[in-house]
Amino acid sequence: MRLKVETRSKIKALIVPIGFPIAAILIFASLVPEWEPREHWGILFAYTLLTIFSTFAPIRTLNTILTLNNAVIFSGILLFGAWVGVWSAVVETLTLAFLMRFNPVKAFANIGQLVITIWAVDYLKNALDYLSISPMISDLIIAGAYWFINIVLCALGISYFFQTGWFSTVKNMAKGTTLTYLLLMVMAGIGSRLVELYGIYTVIPMMAAFTTMSFVFHQYYDSLNKLHQKVEEVKSFNHRFLTTMAASIDARDRYTSGHSQRVAHWGREIAKDIGLSSEKVEEIYVGGILHDIGKIGIEDEILNKKGRLTPEEYDKIKQHTVIGYEIILQAGMFNELLPAIRSHHERIDGKGYPDGLVGDEIPLMAKILAISDAFDAMVADRPYRKGLPVEEALNEIRRGSGTQFDEELAGHFIEIIQRMPREELESIIQQETQSQKQLQEAIH
Amino acid sequence: MLLDVICLSFIVALIRGGRIREFPKFRNLAFLFVSIGLQICSAIYPPAGGVLISIAYLFILLFLIFNRHYEDIRIFMVGWFLNAIAIWSNQGKMPIDIEQAKKLPYDLTPVINGTNFKHSVLTESTNLPFLTDVIYMPSIIPRVISIGDIFIMLGAFLLVQRFMNKPISLLQLREGKSYATKS
Repeated sequence: MRLKVETRSKIKALIVPIGFPIAAILIFASLVPEWEPREHWGILFAYTLLTIFSTFAPIRTLNTILTLNNAVIFSGILLFGAWVGVWSAVVETLTLAFLMRFNPVKAFANIGQLVITIWAVDYLKNALDYLSISPMISDLIIAGAYWFINIVLCALGISYFFQTGWFSTVKNMAKGTTLTYLLLMVMAGIGSRLVELYGIYTVIPMMAAFTTMSFVFHQYYDSLNKLHQKVEEVKSFNHRFLTTMAASIDARDRYTSGHSQRVAHWGREIAKDIGLSSEKVEEIYVGGILHDIGKIGIEDEILNKKGRLTPEEYDKIKQHTVIGYEIILQAGMFNELLPAIRSHHERIDGKGYPDGLVGDEIPLMAKILAISDAFDAMVADRPYRKGLPVEEALNEIRRGSGTQFDEELAGHFIEIIQRMPREELESIIQQETQSQKQLQEAIH
Repeated sequence: MLLDVICLSFIVALIRGGRIREFPKFRNLAFLFVSIGLQICSAIYPPAGGVLISIAYLFILLFLIFNRHYEDIRIFMVGWFLNAIAIWSNQGKMPIDIEQAKKLPYDLTPVINGTNFKHSVLTESTNLPFLTDVIYMPSIIPRVISIGDIFIMLGAFLLVQRFMNKPISLLQLREGKSYATKS
């Protein structure tokens, strides 16, 4: 496996900084004679203007910025051949090299991949012309080929310079840009054919079309970005709101300050460890924060009673799962957290409360939080007793595994705790004041 | 030389709401004046034209290099570079396409005779003809320009915008931002 990776990076190191520039120089040299005839100068001039314009008229999509250069280059290939495309690529590279901090290796690799793309696409175009396929169809095929070759070679460069996987880079690029990219290419194809039919002044309406598109995209993605920001704001507000809730729950029960935060923390660690998606992980964290919300409905005398609880009082305490469930159900928010709140005291063997669920009837979220809850209850210091040592708490969990706790999850949890550096573990367990601090932050 | 472009740039800058409030500080402005002086000398005394123009070009380059932190100046450098390649590969003079130049209202005899201080005639043996003065530009002042001149004109336009305190940053345009901050 390791060997394979090494060979791959060696191949990349051969292609990107060496192969690309050599190919660029060869193609470049073979096309310079095409630039010399008198009748070509006007075209070169026009494409210089177009290239400068398109280099600095970007089309912004959500994550990336596309320039129109590929469309310009593509139209050059369709109308006149590779020599115009390469000219445009050279003008762009030269301009950017002067404008930006110049990195020769990257610049050469970049122009290499672009020039190879142009050359290959031109070759394909000639082949299709030879087969006398209708320009309508062949333009589409060539546009697709341009896009494909370009992102594959470009991703090779990126994966070499930033040490990412080639295939995943291709996939990412394809995911982010394909449609806009293809739209531009198809527009360029249509534009070129119009210029061919009606002459150079067709460029003016085409430019107007591109500029308008750029504006439309700009507006569209601007509002999308704003929406995105709003969603983030609401999320962060929610988060602060929840933290406040958790703090107020913990504040009522003075024996367990910071408890909900810690349970949420461990729940998140387990969820991450078993490879849940980031949304699920977040959900479990919030579930942890709210799991004891029902304690709001338990009288102070019982909740804060020193000494042993009578069976009746214990029954009342047990009610907190159902009370919490009702509160959240009525709130109509966070419905996805209901199982965590109701079932975090269920046991695998069916001896838990409130519903006596068995095994897989217990929702995953509740099974995860049950372990986190039990662990924190054992190790945290209480005013009337010192917390158990971590090792003993883990032994308890091991003992309960299969009867009280889900076996697999318990295994994961024990591993997480054992891997963790001692100081970090201690600092999390001692985190009593944190909830108060966050409460204050949330209020301010 | 670029009077019409510069005037046009000023008009655009005025429309954009630009005013001259403070002058951008250029380093080693003297180099620019030396270069202009040398060019005037070469026009007065054509026999030494080639040498004087070459030296004048070097002074411009020095001025550009000292001020390369401005983006506009770097656009100038692209133009300077392209023109310099054309001039150096053709014995110190910029070849000009006679067919295009005939449209101009100037006397072309010095160019044809080889006594013009700046230009020579474009022939079959000219190197890199596509970088020389081959494009006829009819208005506002008729002239024959090279590809490098496009960049010089663009640079002049951007520089005037900066003078008028409304700089445009091409790099920020590329990143999708509208206008530049002053730098």
